[in-house]
Amino acid sequence: MAGKLNALEESLILKPITMSGIETLGILDEIQALVSDHLQVVSYKWLSRNFLVSSNTAKRLLEEFVEKHGSGLEVVYALSGWLKSSPPSYNIRLVSGPKLAEVKQEFDGNCSVQVYSVQASIPKDPAALWNAEFVQAEELFKQPSLDNCLRDNRFCGISNSFVKRSVDGTSVSIAHVQPKSSGISQLSKSNSTGQKNSVPPPQQNKIQQSSPKVGPLSPNVLKDVKAESNSTGVHDQAKPSAAKEKLNPLPASKKKSQNDKSSSGTGGSLANFWGRASTKAKPGSAAADNLVSNSTASAEAQISVREAAENCCSDDDAEDVNFRRAARGEGNRKRKVVLDLSDEDEYEDAVNLGSPDPPKRKSDLDPKENKKLLVIGKPDLTPNKLKEDKSEAKEVKEINGESNQSPRENSAAVSKRMKTETSFTEKTHNCVSQKDINKDKVENSVPNSPKRKKVLKTRIDERGREVTEVVWEGEETEIKRANSSETTKKADSNPTKKADSNTVTNNSTRPPPAKKSPALGSTAPSNPGSKAGTKKGGNQKDPKQGNILSFFKKV
Amino acid sequence: MLELRLVQGSLLKKVLEAIKDLVNDANFDCSATGFSLQAMDSSHVALVALLLRSEGFEHYRCDRNLSMGMNLGNMSKMLRCAGNDDIITIKADDGSDTVTFMFESPTQDKIADFEMKLMDIDSEHLGIPEAEYHAIVRMPSAEFARICKDLSSIGDTVVISVTKEGVKFSTRGDIGTANIVLRQNTTVDKPEDSTIIEMNEPVSLTFALRYMNSFTRATPLSNTVTISLSSELPVVVEYKIAEMGYIRFYLAPKIEEDEEETKPQI
Repeated sequence: MAGKLNALEESLILKPITMSGIETLGILDEIQALVSDHLQVVSYKWLSRNFLVSSNTAKRLLEEFVEKHGSGLEVVYALSGWLKSSPPSYNIRLVSGPKLAEVKQEFDGNCSVQVYSVQASIPKDPAALWNAEFVQAEELFKQPSLDNCLRDNRFCGISNSFVKRSVDGTSVSIAHVQPKSSGISQLSKSNSTGQKNSVPPPQQNKIQQSSPKVGPLSPNVLKDVKAESNSTGVHDQAKPSAAKEKLNPLPASKKKSQNDKSSSGTGGSLANFWGRASTKAKPGSAAADNLVSNSTASAEAQISVREAAENCCSDDDAEDVNFRRAARGEGNRKRKVVLDLSDEDEYEDAVNLGSPDPPKRKSDLDPKENKKLLVIGKPDLTPNKLKEDKSEAKEVKEINGESNQSPRENSAAVSKRMKTETSFTEKTHNCVSQKDINKDKVENSVPNSPKRKKVLKTRIDERGREVTEVVWEGEETEIKRANSSETTKKADSNPTKKADSNTVTNNSTRPPPAKKSPALGSTAPSNPGSKAGTKKGGNQKDPKQGNILSFFKKV
Repeated sequence: MLELRLVQGSLLKKVLEAIKDLVNDANFDCSATGFSLQAMDSSHVALVALLLRSEGFEHYRCDRNLSMGMNLGNMSKMLRCAGNDDIITIKADDGSDTVTFMFESPTQDKIADFEMKLMDIDSEHLGIPEAEYHAIVRMPSAEFARICKDLSSIGDTVVISVTKEGVKFSTRGDIGTANIVLRQNTTVDKPEDSTIIEMNEPVSLTFALRYMNSFTRATPLSNTVTISLSSELPVVVEYKIAEMGYIRFYLAPKIEEDEEETKPQI
């Protein structure tokens, strides 16, 4: 019986090999390199997944490889068949080459013999045999896209072209996406992506091929491989997730946190930005914008932190910046605004800097434009920007909280922005309200504190750009006194302003003013702690320090 | 099987002293062409690339490419046991998880064997593209070390600007500011004392002095240091290792305050 099975299997195996005869030569060379240079255990499973061939083909390839290059290598065979023992039991064994004949005797009659793996030497720890494939499987399961062999059964002997796997069902790793009441259009969409995915793209292949270099047989490698897959697949990842969000606004927060992770991670994802630096293009400004407004916002926050101790934000990064700025500027703060004159809109903003005109600014700052702004460090403009971002964050939050009834396009818009926003939004929506308060306070501090002056200086710097510096002069204690009464008053006027900015993009959801107070309470105590923390590790998280990974790509 | 015999053992000692503070663990890659290392510091701001070409060794045998993960602190501890005139031989067997350092005294009357455990290190090997640099400064390494040390007592960052006039190192701190300008100077007696500036276009970049200072630990390896700057690239601080290769440090610039064009956060 076993013999028959073998014969059947043989015939099954033979077919694909003749079909893919041309590629196999390349694969054999690859195996040679992997086994002898990288000292990797190459098992048929690994081979199958890595080169997107069926496991039968993979076994066959290994056999061929053993025939051609077998000398000097160790081979592990998988034997399966009925044992000779008294109650006959079906048994599958992994046997090393020299013991093959011996173990074969233990089987009753015929047994199937297949190459399980080839390696430079038999590892001391048997677990090392499947380490490489385990690492690989982990990686594949973590891939958000449908597009790998562990996510579908492309190598199954039985296939039914009418059966498709829907995208929602498999994308566990992105977020807990509940299959939403999906319209017909959605269904067809997921179908089409499914089809696309079933075609093994060459790129995918490449990504996976890079993993053997990184994952040489150690359990502690796991994490890093993950990181690598993140880095290589950032764009892949972003896309499906965005699509998903279009389907369902619910996982927005989930996704956000994930983005957060990938961006704050040691820089695996940053490896993609080498291109940015070399081409001198500035696609990064969108994100940079966020970062900038983040830091300036925090500086803003810092002013008010001193003014009113009960208001603060728990933003770590922000605190980091705060500290540094505080350390540098002794009595007076100095901030610079660099305006790229090539962009007219920005210039308009520059004009606004001099004479604040809240309603107008709001209309200027639509989200699109937001991305274009390079740097906004000006105290009385940043709050606005901040608010812009914040309102977005609010929106997101609202939509998340508000079940799925918000309009479709709304959620789409949010998800689009989410892509560019990253962690900042998350951070901000914690301290949305009090930052708004802060902002008002800062604005108000100008007329209220006689000792504090805002001086606007414009000059052309050495690179020929216009630099506008705003210098604050005066004592903070003064302001504090002046403003402590102001705080409460201003807090009331805030929601309306916020609402204004919200109308730019969102109309269905409105932030209830009540949200303010809990945010205030929760963030206030955490501030001193985080501040002290950054003092210690100052240099570690310097936002201005570039990362080497943004210049050199991994190979 | 790997066997590398380095007559000038002190070189290896110096190399380790140069990089051990920057990088804790690293993979040494041995191939037929040479003995090399590439590693980033833990914060991924700086990168060190070391190459010791096979020709520099008295005896170099490397049967197949081998990557040895070592804790540089431990390696340095062992190498410190070697005398400055000792001949150092690095040996490793295939499949072994140890590496052996053998120190022979010049008179061959003392031979020491140190075996060190290797470790599995997942290294992220980076591809470093060949680049044209806007400005290349070659100067005495001791001078560079001195400048970095001096400036670091005043500020945290150094702005290195290269113009037609020369190269300017400046810093700013709580107590004040400092500027050090070096002019091109090729008229000295000894060529290694000269300062040579090749400039295609002016460039000015800001770096963390902390890293610069740790780079200068390689000063004993070479009399001169080459600093290559480009506005969009990490600076390269290179120390040539006589007739053998080089040690290069790459440092990502700090994003200057007036162009907060920070890395995108996706």
